[in-house]
Amino acid sequence: MDNAEYIVEMKHITKRFPGIIANDDVSLSIRRGEIFALLGENGAGKSTIMSILFGMYEPDAGEIFIRGKKVNIKSPRMATKLGIGMVHQHFKLVSNYTIAENIILGQEPRKKLFGFLPAVDFDRANRDIARLSESYGLKVEPEALISDLNVSSQQRVEILKMLYRDAEILIFDEPTAVLTPQEIEALLNIIRGLRDSGKTIIIITHKLNEIKAIADRCAILNRGRLMAVKDVKETSTAEMARLMVGREVSFTVDKAGAEPGETVLKVEKLTVCNEDGFEAVKDVSFEVKAGEIFALAGVSGNGQNELADAIAGLERVKSGHIFLCGEDITDRTIRERAEEGLAYIPEDRQNVGLVMGFTLRDNLALKSYYGPDFAKKGVLDEEALNDNGKRLIEKYDIRSGKGNETVVSSMSGGNQQKAIVAREIDMEGRLIIFMQPTRGLDVGAISNIHKQIVNERDRGAAVLLISLELDEVMNLADTIGVIYNGRINRIAKASELTVEDVGLFMLGAEKGEG
Amino acid sequence: MKKLIVRLLGGEKRQMLRISVFAIAVSLIVASLIFIVIGKNPISAYGNLLQGSGLMPKRSYAGKQNMFTDFMSFLDALTPMIFASLAVAVALKGGMFNIGVSGMMLAGGFFASVSVGMSELAAPLAKPIVIIIGITAGALVGALIGWLKYRFNINEVVSSIMLNYILMYIFTFFINSYYIDPISRQSTPVSEMSRLSLKAVRTSGLKLDIPLAFPLAILTAVYIRFFMERTTAGFEIKAVGLSRRAAGYAGINISRSIIKTMVISGALAGLAGVTYFCGYMGSIQPGVVPGMGFNAIAVALLGNNDPIGCIFASFLITILSKGAIYLSSKQGVDIEIADLITAVILIFAACGEFIRRFVSRIEAEDILEGGEQKA
Repeated sequence: MDNAEYIVEMKHITKRFPGIIANDDVSLSIRRGEIFALLGENGAGKSTIMSILFGMYEPDAGEIFIRGKKVNIKSPRMATKLGIGMVHQHFKLVSNYTIAENIILGQEPRKKLFGFLPAVDFDRANRDIARLSESYGLKVEPEALISDLNVSSQQRVEILKMLYRDAEILIFDEPTAVLTPQEIEALLNIIRGLRDSGKTIIIITHKLNEIKAIADRCAILNRGRLMAVKDVKETSTAEMARLMVGREVSFTVDKAGAEPGETVLKVEKLTVCNEDGFEAVKDVSFEVKAGEIFALAGVSGNGQNELADAIAGLERVKSGHIFLCGEDITDRTIRERAEEGLAYIPEDRQNVGLVMGFTLRDNLALKSYYGPDFAKKGVLDEEALNDNGKRLIEKYDIRSGKGNETVVSSMSGGNQQKAIVAREIDMEGRLIIFMQPTRGLDVGAISNIHKQIVNERDRGAAVLLISLELDEVMNLADTIGVIYNGRINRIAKASELTVEDVGLFMLGAEKGEG
Repeated sequence: MKKLIVRLLGGEKRQMLRISVFAIAVSLIVASLIFIVIGKNPISAYGNLLQGSGLMPKRSYAGKQNMFTDFMSFLDALTPMIFASLAVAVALKGGMFNIGVSGMMLAGGFFASVSVGMSELAAPLAKPIVIIIGITAGALVGALIGWLKYRFNINEVVSSIMLNYILMYIFTFFINSYYIDPISRQSTPVSEMSRLSLKAVRTSGLKLDIPLAFPLAILTAVYIRFFMERTTAGFEIKAVGLSRRAAGYAGINISRSIIKTMVISGALAGLAGVTYFCGYMGSIQPGVVPGMGFNAIAVALLGNNDPIGCIFASFLITILSKGAIYLSSKQGVDIEIADLITAVILIFAACGEFIRRFVSRIEAEDILEGGEQKA
């Protein structure tokens, strides 16, 4: 075994997609038993190269060696045989199956019923998984249904799935994107434990502080090219960030003190039901003033979506009122609210924020196509639409294959988000709701969007920022509200709260305790 | 092999057009095999189809007929097909699967036939009124389907296919009771003044059928193209068709857009109805749901839901249906052979989207950013 210091070697990997080189002559060597991080902007090619390692794509050029042996990984099944496991960013679990059923799926332990009928041995599966979860300190209940689990437990199931298949090389694709600070801490501990028990870990992430916290070495990709492989201990986060985006990035957002003006948004005793008729938002009241960033912190699924949708008019209100500049807009249509100056960047970019089959140009005019700028007597002015598209593409640096004519479904997530932000900010609204505006984006794009959020505030707009990222909330907020279980359990000036306070309230601490 | 497929069908430029042509080519090859199996020469069979449609000269003609008379008769059959396929295409663009074109055609045809068609109204007045009645009747049926969808969330596939039969039986009852021609067992033929096709017109020694509404069909297709691509209403219909949630987020009134889509689709189907029953046919056969309404689905798919594409696809399918009469008499095969070929084309046309996805998967999963999208 000592002939293979490197358990994974990827040599001169090149992968082209139509119109773009996702990986350009990338070589990575990963040592047995280390935590290796892959860092890069959206579209830098991190996921692509790991998908190649996991057998989801075949490279156009280059070679892969596993444990010193040249291999040609043609499918995830083959990768699994080679001891490679991957936790995808979006989990691949069957939600109405139990944990055990999900884990054994495809590798079911068999038994012979009555001595001859082949059947799945669920008892053995449950026992095996209980033992496995105990030995790695990953607490799960084998017979619980996936649909009853929260995100971090589901992630644990994904990890167990790899371990059940005897994976030695574990790939994590942005594992912390959906977790709370406490859950992240727990996950990092799990990953450390896995390394200590001899596994090799590859982790794809945007988050520099996490790399700093756990990774041994780190490869930085930029636009498909390998920029550097660094020892994490000897490299500053600022240096890593510079390599990743090709320029220095400032982490703290430059912003002057807020100069709040009149109240723009007033939410009064708002109760909203979700699709199942369950009260997702309960009796919520708050105000957002002009020139102020009101950040709503909270763990995913505590009513943020329903609240934002209700304010924007996408969700019906059960009781309570919403006022925009003193006017009751509770019963107004979505379009009337937009015309009153309400801009909304929704969380679900692909299903809500954009018409994926439309061109970039048409998406950039999605809310204004009918207005006097773009339409005369119901006929669209192509030239005006084209000019509008060009202007926004340039101003907001939206990158795409064919500019105005690009179908947005072919664009990267980061650029899709840029398109939405461009369209909504360009409305010059009085209230802008940012729902998870930087989710899944890279450092460069994040700081860009943060700057725009501050710009909007300074322009005099009221900004409602709903975010799961505590850093984002702390960096940007003038006022912080914390939502837990559908209720806002704390509102305070940002300067009066520490990160720990907010973290505690997010987990349901009562007033006064923090 | 894979490389060849990508070369032929990959890329984005006119991809859907190339895939449609590919689908047609494959179906013609499959149909050729069928001809060979039943012992006929496929080349001469296809020749017969073209001859029967007036696109290739026959060896001999009856008196006062030549290739041109055949071609005019072909256009007469083509006209309602264009309207019907436009009806399907518009609905599909708006995210609605309108299987009710047949019923809408019957509605337009029936009301126009029994009112103006049975009257003594002079031609300059009668013909426009027939068209207006067709549009109105079809639009009303469309509005009903759209309203059921938004008010009670009744799936349009179910409501439209049921309405086909409901309307057919209602009209059959009235035709059998009041408007039956005892000899032909069809509805009483519409008056010549109201008929949208001039039949057996004698000019320069020929007996011609003149489909008056054919230019209207072409103009309508061009206008629908303009409407979908260049108007705010078309923008809304397409947005709703592609993503209801995103359209709703953008402030588009979804229920209104759905009803608008179905009203337009119905109006087009109504036009198909009057040009078919009050034009090409001249009467309504009771108890029958016109198959054209279903063929129109294949035609629209083959035309990639594009109004201009619909013209060409209608052209092709009409060659089959019109030419089949001559083919069957010439080769001694059953006329249903046309339906068989149409069905084969339908299958491949319906696969168009599948073929496109298959090709782009070979081409490489997705454009780069695809690399970032987790599969």
